[in-house]
Amino acid sequence: MAEKIIVEQKPDSTGKLSTGLAADVGNLREAQKGVSLWQDAWRRLKKNKMAMLGMVVVGLYAVISLSAPILPLHSYKYQVLEHQFLAPSLTKNAGELLVEQEIGRYRQQNEAFGVEGLTEQQEADLVDFRDRMATETKVIDSEEVLLHERRYLLGTDNLGRDMLSRIIYGGQVSIMIGLIGTLVSVFLGTAIGAISGYVGGRLDNFLMRVVDILYGLPYMLLVIIFMAILGRSIANLFFALAIVSWLTVARVVRGQIMSLKESEFVEAARSAGASPFRVIFRHLVPNTAGVIVVYTTLRIPSFIMLEAFLSFLGLGVQAPLASWGSLVGDGVDAMIPYPWLLFEPAIVMTIFLFSMNFLGDGLRDALDVQSKNKM
Amino acid sequence: MTKFIIRRLLGLIPTLIIIITISFFVIRVAPGGPFSDERKISAEVLANLEAKYHLDDPLIKQYGDYLLNVLRFDLGPSFVYKDYDVNYYIGAGLPKSMLIGALAVGGALIFGLGAGIISALRQNSVYDYASMSVAVIGISVPLFVIGPVLMYIFAVKLDWLPVAGWIDTLGWSALVLPVVTLAFPPFAYVARLSRASVLEILRSDYVRTARAKGLSMPMVVLKHVLKGSMLPVVSFLGPALAGTLTGSIVVEQIFRIPGLGRYFVNSAFNRDYTMIMGTVIVYSAILLLMNFIVDVIYGFLDPRISYK
Repeated sequence: MAEKIIVEQKPDSTGKLSTGLAADVGNLREAQKGVSLWQDAWRRLKKNKMAMLGMVVVGLYAVISLSAPILPLHSYKYQVLEHQFLAPSLTKNAGELLVEQEIGRYRQQNEAFGVEGLTEQQEADLVDFRDRMATETKVIDSEEVLLHERRYLLGTDNLGRDMLSRIIYGGQVSIMIGLIGTLVSVFLGTAIGAISGYVGGRLDNFLMRVVDILYGLPYMLLVIIFMAILGRSIANLFFALAIVSWLTVARVVRGQIMSLKESEFVEAARSAGASPFRVIFRHLVPNTAGVIVVYTTLRIPSFIMLEAFLSFLGLGVQAPLASWGSLVGDGVDAMIPYPWLLFEPAIVMTIFLFSMNFLGDGLRDALDVQSKNKM
Repeated sequence: MTKFIIRRLLGLIPTLIIIITISFFVIRVAPGGPFSDERKISAEVLANLEAKYHLDDPLIKQYGDYLLNVLRFDLGPSFVYKDYDVNYYIGAGLPKSMLIGALAVGGALIFGLGAGIISALRQNSVYDYASMSVAVIGISVPLFVIGPVLMYIFAVKLDWLPVAGWIDTLGWSALVLPVVTLAFPPFAYVARLSRASVLEILRSDYVRTARAKGLSMPMVVLKHVLKGSMLPVVSFLGPALAGTLTGSIVVEQIFRIPGLGRYFVNSAFNRDYTMIMGTVIVYSAILLLMNFIVDVIYGFLDPRISYK
C-alpha cells in the first residue's frame, strides 16, 4: 500500500530538487494520512476506461428515465391509429410520412394497371389528403394539437404509439425493477447471511440447508408459475423475483462475516458491551460493503434480463405499460416488415446491459482485495 | 465412490418431492382454476367437471393421489387439451427440446474450450480479441435479442436458413439458428473460463517442469493443460445447464419449435394445472440429474475431492 503511494507521488512543485531525505520524510507523512478503501477503489476505477465509460452511460440512462415526465415526449400509451407503423424519421412529421405512403400506394396501384405517374383523380385526392394532414386537430391531454404535425423520431408501433417515449418509459420500468429487485434481494440476503454467519451453530446449519435446497430448485420455472398463477402485475413480479434471488448474497455475506467475526475489532466491540445486533449491522456488515456493492452492480443487469425474459414471454409487465423485454417481444412479431420495432429496444437495452456489466467488472477489480496486488 | 453416487442419487428424490410440493400448493392455493376463464358454465357442469378431475376432493388427498401417480410416471390428464394426457404431450415435446439443448451445450463446450485455449496460447492476438469480443456479446446480450437478430439477418435478409419451424418440414437446417442462439451464453462463459484457467496453468510449476524435461508444447497442452483447464468449466456446467433449460423456453418461443417449453408457457397461460406440474417435474428431474452427473465428472477430474 504505502509503497504504491510513494511511487505515485508527483515531483515537488517548487521545482527545486529536494534532497532524498526530505522527500522521504514528505512521503512518509503522505503515507501516514492513509487512503480509505473507497478512495483507493475510486482511483483504480478511474484508470479503467471501459468501466468509466459504462458509468457515464449508466448515468445518462438514469438521468433520461428520471426526467422522462418533463421531457417533451408524446404519451407512451396514447394511440393514434392512423399513425400505425410509421418509420423512424428525424426530419419529417407524421403527415409528410403519411402523404409519402399514400403516393407510394397510388403508384403501386397504377403500376398494376400499367399507368405511368398519377391520374388526375389521384392528384386531386392527394391535395385533399395533404390539406387534411395540415389541418386536422385533436384534443390530446386537454390540449388541442395538429394531429399530423406530431413527430416520431423512432417511429411508431402497431397502435400508433410513439416508440421513443415507449422505450424511455419502458426503460424506466426495466431499470426500476432492476434496482428495487436488487435492493430487496441484497437487503434480505445480507440480513440472513450476516445473522447466519455471526450466530453460527444450529441456526446457521438450518438456514444454509434452506439455501441449499432453494438453490437446487429450477427457480426460473417457479417464477414463471408464480407469475402465471398470481396474476401479471408489477408487484407480483417484484415478489417473485425477490424471493428467489437473495440466495447468493446470503452465501457470500455469510462467508465474509464468518472470516471477520473472530477479529479484534469485533472482540473490542463485544467487550465494550455492544449487542449482537449492533455488532452485526454496525461493525461487520459495513466491512463487507465492498462485496455487497460489487454484487449489487453485477446483479442489476441480470435482474433486468430476468424481467425482460418474463415480459418477452408475456408474463411480465402488461400493456399499456412497457418494459424493454415486452418491447423486444412485440418487436419480434413485427420485425419482418417493420424491423425498427425490434432493433430500437434491443439496441437500447443491450447498450445498458453492456455498460452495467463493464461498470460491475470494473468495480469488482477496484474493490476486490485479492486482485489488488495483481494490478 | 459407488457409495457416494448411490447416496447422491437417493438425495435427488427429496429435492424432487419438495419441488412437486411447492408447485402443487402454489398452483392450488391461487384463486381461479382451469375452468374459470372459459365461457360461463353452469354450476352443475362445473361440479361435474371438478368431480371428473377429482378437484372436489380435500387438497391433501389430491396431493397424495398426485404424488402416487407421479411415482408411477403418470402425470394425469390435461385440463385443456382433451385428446391426450400430459404424458403424451411431454413425450412429443421433450425429444425436440433435448435435441436442441444437447446440441447447444455440446457445441458450446467444444467451441468454447477451443476458443478459450487458443486465445490463451495466442494471448493478445487478433484471434484472442475476436473470440473474447464474441464472448462479451454472449454474456451481455440476452438470448431473446440474439435470436431475433440472427433470425432477421440470416433468415429474412440473407435467406440462407428457414425463419422458424422444425425438422419434419424444413430439414436439418431448421436446427441451425435455434442451436446457435441457445449456445451463445454457455459458449461465452466456457471460452472466458477456459482462457483464464489455461493462462494460469501455463504459468504453473508443473508445466515448466514438463517443458524443462523437453516435452513439446502441443504435448504439454494435450497432457497437462487440458485436464486442468477443464475443472472450472465442468463446475460451470451446472449453472450452464440451468440457463440452457430456461433459455430453451425462449428459443422455442422465438423459432416456433413445438418443444416442451412451448407447452410449459402455454399451460402457464391457460392454467392447465396438470400440464404445468408435468413440465416442471420433467424440467426439474433433468436439471437435478444433470447436476448430479456434473458432480460425478468433477470428482473424476479432480483427485483432491474426496467422497466421504
